[in-house]
Amino acid sequence: MHQSRGIRTLRTIAGWLVVGVFFFPIYFWTTVAFRNAKDIFNWPPIFVDFEPTARNFEQVFGISLGFGFGAQEAVTPGGGNFYMAPRLWDSIVIASMSTVLAIVVATLAAYCLSRMHFRGRHEFVNWVLSTRMMPPVAVAVPMFFIFKQFSLLDTYLGVILVHGLMNLPLAVLLMKSFFDDIPSEIDESALLDGASRWTIFRRIVLPMAKGGIAATAVLCFIFSWTEFLFVLTLTQTSIKTVPVVSSTFVTSIGTAWGNMAALGAAAIVPAFIVIMLVQRHLVRGLTMGSLKQ
Amino acid sequence: MAVAQVKRIAISDSPIPWLAPLVALLVVFTIYPLFYNIWLSFHEYFPRKRAIQFVGMQNWQQLWEDTRFWSSLGVTFVYFAIALVFEIVLGMAIALLLDAELPGFGGLRAILSLTLVIPPAIAGMMFLLMEDAQFGVLTYILNSLGLLDKTTPILATSSTALAGVLVAEIWQWTPFMVLIFMAGLRSLPAEPYEAAMIDGASAFQMFRRLTLPMMSKVIAVAVLLRGIDLFRVFDYVFVMTSGGPGTATYTLSLYAWQQTFSFIKWGYGATLSLVSLAIIMVLANIFIRVFKVRW
Repeated sequence: MHQSRGIRTLRTIAGWLVVGVFFFPIYFWTTVAFRNAKDIFNWPPIFVDFEPTARNFEQVFGISLGFGFGAQEAVTPGGGNFYMAPRLWDSIVIASMSTVLAIVVATLAAYCLSRMHFRGRHEFVNWVLSTRMMPPVAVAVPMFFIFKQFSLLDTYLGVILVHGLMNLPLAVLLMKSFFDDIPSEIDESALLDGASRWTIFRRIVLPMAKGGIAATAVLCFIFSWTEFLFVLTLTQTSIKTVPVVSSTFVTSIGTAWGNMAALGAAAIVPAFIVIMLVQRHLVRGLTMGSLKQ
Repeated sequence: MAVAQVKRIAISDSPIPWLAPLVALLVVFTIYPLFYNIWLSFHEYFPRKRAIQFVGMQNWQQLWEDTRFWSSLGVTFVYFAIALVFEIVLGMAIALLLDAELPGFGGLRAILSLTLVIPPAIAGMMFLLMEDAQFGVLTYILNSLGLLDKTTPILATSSTALAGVLVAEIWQWTPFMVLIFMAGLRSLPAEPYEAAMIDGASAFQMFRRLTLPMMSKVIAVAVLLRGIDLFRVFDYVFVMTSGGPGTATYTLSLYAWQQTFSFIKWGYGATLSLVSLAIIMVLANIFIRVFKVRW
């Protein structure tokens, strides 16, 4: 469709404005991470013109960025401890290990669902999809009791298991869609040459699906990274991920917005970077492999 | 000959070793919790005796008389419906706007995808700060536009609290719809539009008669996946309002969670999660049938 120059200019501006509105909260939150309290609690709120400080990050990470402020002071006069570097580590361990678990199990199953013909295959795929519908609260409560029994509460292993399981429907369906893209004639000719299914899977199909595996892994990582209810329910004091620990910054003596924003920004930036790497497969991932870009 | 041979090998393939790990894990994650919840819904924990005892149908009967349950169900449906309508309509409008090769639009799509990787609990915090009555930037903007009285704290007023939570929800997930709809729009064939142009169809007619029908599968998938998540909303209300003021933002998931962990009503909490599960399953399966969504 050919549009006049004027309409194209208007449309460009409108597009930028709309996305600007969506970007504004991210911008504002990031600036809060660099503000002193007086620039956060100001009325009218300050949009641009504040005095930047690295103090919030120093407190959260227990490091000195060379502005004359040390790690010892991470405990604020109010009594809140904002040293959160270990919580970031918890998030990294849980997200990466649960991703490995989900990818290994899902890749095996997805190859089978993509290539082998057996009775009830369609129903099986539907069952996997339906497990995506479980409300987390309906899973978290029974998990809490079984974890209590097996001493898995408040452990890495427990949360890794649950996050891995939580990502299985996504990982299986997404990996299946990537395997479906690889022509099955390749498998068939290798079968004729006497290769076993396992050899074909490992030597031929897996290397061809590398890009798809990477995209699936990134999405699993992000969903574990952002998950809230399971961590809230299944951890107590020794481990916590960033989203859950952020909610504890709201205290009776006030909310440490600057520290919270610093931690939040530190948690969001890695996610921004990895999501940029998988833009090409993003829609396929968001729709669990149902839609290809 | 070759085909027959491949077929023979393919038939002798056993899916069991490939699927066994998945099935084992899914049973732990779905079948076990399901049966545990059902069992627990006929029991209750008595803190004084420190014991779980059989109570028969008591928890299920309690549902009928529990006004907080009905109100949480109402809040959940209202939240679900408003969020879904806004996300679909805004998502489609923005997708149509951005579906063009104009300066910087590729970058705009990437920026929109950023909201999706923010933990919803942190997105809730962002809006909690921005909607603060004393110094919130959103409060300030709404004040300046004359849309909100300065004395009305958004999240602490029953009539506006749900809207305050929905703003965070809609902000974070409209881009989900935009990205999916844009992928759908880009995959549409050009010929029908060229034919319609020759016939002198208006832009709206083309949208109504061509775009919407051809996009129906894409829209159905997006609505199904978003709808499932909307019905089990927990993070935003937990961090922004904890269900308050009163019961204005109490969703079913939050109510079930609180019954279990705050009020130590394990049996009743399980009953409530089963209700939530049943509603999602029924609605999602009807939706899948009606709109013929297939994976």
